[in-house]
Amino acid sequence: MSSWQTAAPIPLTGADCFLRAFDAEARRRNGASHLSQLVLRLGPGFELEGFCDLVAQVSRANPLLRAPIRRPFGLLPPVYDTPRARLEAAPPVRVYELPSSRSGGVPEVFFERLNGTQDLRRGDLLRFDIVRYGGGTEGTDLAMTWAHLLFDGSGSERFIEWLAACHRGERVPNDLAPAEGAGIAAASAEGDAGTGLHTRGPRERGRKARAYQVRMAGFAARPPRSLAGPLRRTPQALRYAVETYEKEQTERTVERANQQAGFLTPVLFYLAAVIRAHHAVFRERNLSAASYVVPVVANLRPKGAPSAIFRSHVSMLWFQVFPEQVEDFAMLLGVLKEQRLARIREGFIENGAAAMNFARWAPSRLYARMAERVLKGELASFFFAYTGDFLPGLSRFLGAEILNGFHAAGVMASPGSAALLCLRAGRLNVGHVRQQGVFSPAELSIFRAQLRRDLLGVDGSR
Amino acid sequence: MAAPSRAELVRIIFDILRTQLLSVGSEFTEQSSLVDAGLDSLAVTQLLLAIEEATGVWVDESLLTPENLASAESLAACVYELQRRAS
Repeated sequence: MSSWQTAAPIPLTGADCFLRAFDAEARRRNGASHLSQLVLRLGPGFELEGFCDLVAQVSRANPLLRAPIRRPFGLLPPVYDTPRARLEAAPPVRVYELPSSRSGGVPEVFFERLNGTQDLRRGDLLRFDIVRYGGGTEGTDLAMTWAHLLFDGSGSERFIEWLAACHRGERVPNDLAPAEGAGIAAASAEGDAGTGLHTRGPRERGRKARAYQVRMAGFAARPPRSLAGPLRRTPQALRYAVETYEKEQTERTVERANQQAGFLTPVLFYLAAVIRAHHAVFRERNLSAASYVVPVVANLRPKGAPSAIFRSHVSMLWFQVFPEQVEDFAMLLGVLKEQRLARIREGFIENGAAAMNFARWAPSRLYARMAERVLKGELASFFFAYTGDFLPGLSRFLGAEILNGFHAAGVMASPGSAALLCLRAGRLNVGHVRQQGVFSPAELSIFRAQLRRDLLGVDGSR
Repeated sequence: MAAPSRAELVRIIFDILRTQLLSVGSEFTEQSSLVDAGLDSLAVTQLLLAIEEATGVWVDESLLTPENLASAESLAACVYELQRRAS
């Protein structure tokens, strides 16, 4: 047993607590947990029994995976209560057998899982759903669904890599050292430990959190709007579709992104395209949003060091653009570049991390209400992520070739739309998660067509 | 204050990377690949800001090509050229 797996409870990071608050709000409003999902589309040969055994071993060796999350004495910052982790809460593996050939679509059960609930207080943190086609001879789809605070996107890919390495015999289920297990932050949940940031003491943290709040309040001058409208109580009914671009189309898109946004910051190119796709639907409805406000996750993992699998190591970078800045792609990209630079220069990411740290102490409801008030009833115009290469070093998983893979994520009924993009084996995956009813079929066509035009180039030119 | 020499720029950039931005060991040198060492979109912007603070030179993001970001040395050459043109 490695040191981080000892009996002491493991504190949540500030980002974990932010996501816990988000989970509570999603359950209250939409009756669903705030979950994330990683999907692997596998060829024949997946070793189901070996996978079930591996999950059981990993779960036994890593109590965090089944630990209830609670506030000690109802007041102190939340912890993974590993001493109370029950073996019965081990991640379940559900198997579904389909006789027919697989279609290009995502299995219905994956949507059901994403719209479900997982009780953090009972250690219900991680689940696997496996759909086998023709007994596995025609391939397998695997979904790993988790309470969003258990991993961030990067951590979820590292977890899959580690499972694969365990299966190959290169790693063993209890070999995670603190730095790659719960993370450096587990040793000291104070401040920004393990995030690569350097905030010293509660006074500085308070000043930074206040600066973050002031910046957020500034968005209210031209408040954002989402296609779903303000937050409301309605059952979550998400579906998603993933469009996989051909290799030539992907090469063209990646080249455009690198040229126009920079090869280390292509995220802004993709964000600009997704903003304009939403804007096209607003225009179709003859609606005018005062502004579009979008959070983009900033990865705070130490660069170049062995990074943690479990826990969230992120802050948020928020962008606000106005409709008059959206009409021209180049202008929009310029605005996004300027905002990104200005916000990093002013320490917005560090300020965000400091603000999230206060979520460790604040009641989850209070935090959600503050966000709602600041953005005038909206959480954001939509959610967005570009996660780069998906499992770039992994071609096979438990004996089967990885044909494709991508992330999906829960999004509250409002804003009701999230775009998640990644690259897998030289092909771009454009995922769109949406609350049913937010987009009409015609609007979905407009959304996708606009996105393709901007990603590939409007007139076909480079 | 005199503008830093090319060698001094290499040292400045290398120190920023090693002490502020990257978790790297002694195997990381002035010739090491920055991307392989973990430089990402956030870290590269923080690097540009730190270079500006140390030297007064702003490296426009359009200059962040794979060639210029190949190593601390190549980035220093880019900064040196900008500095030379400005003087």
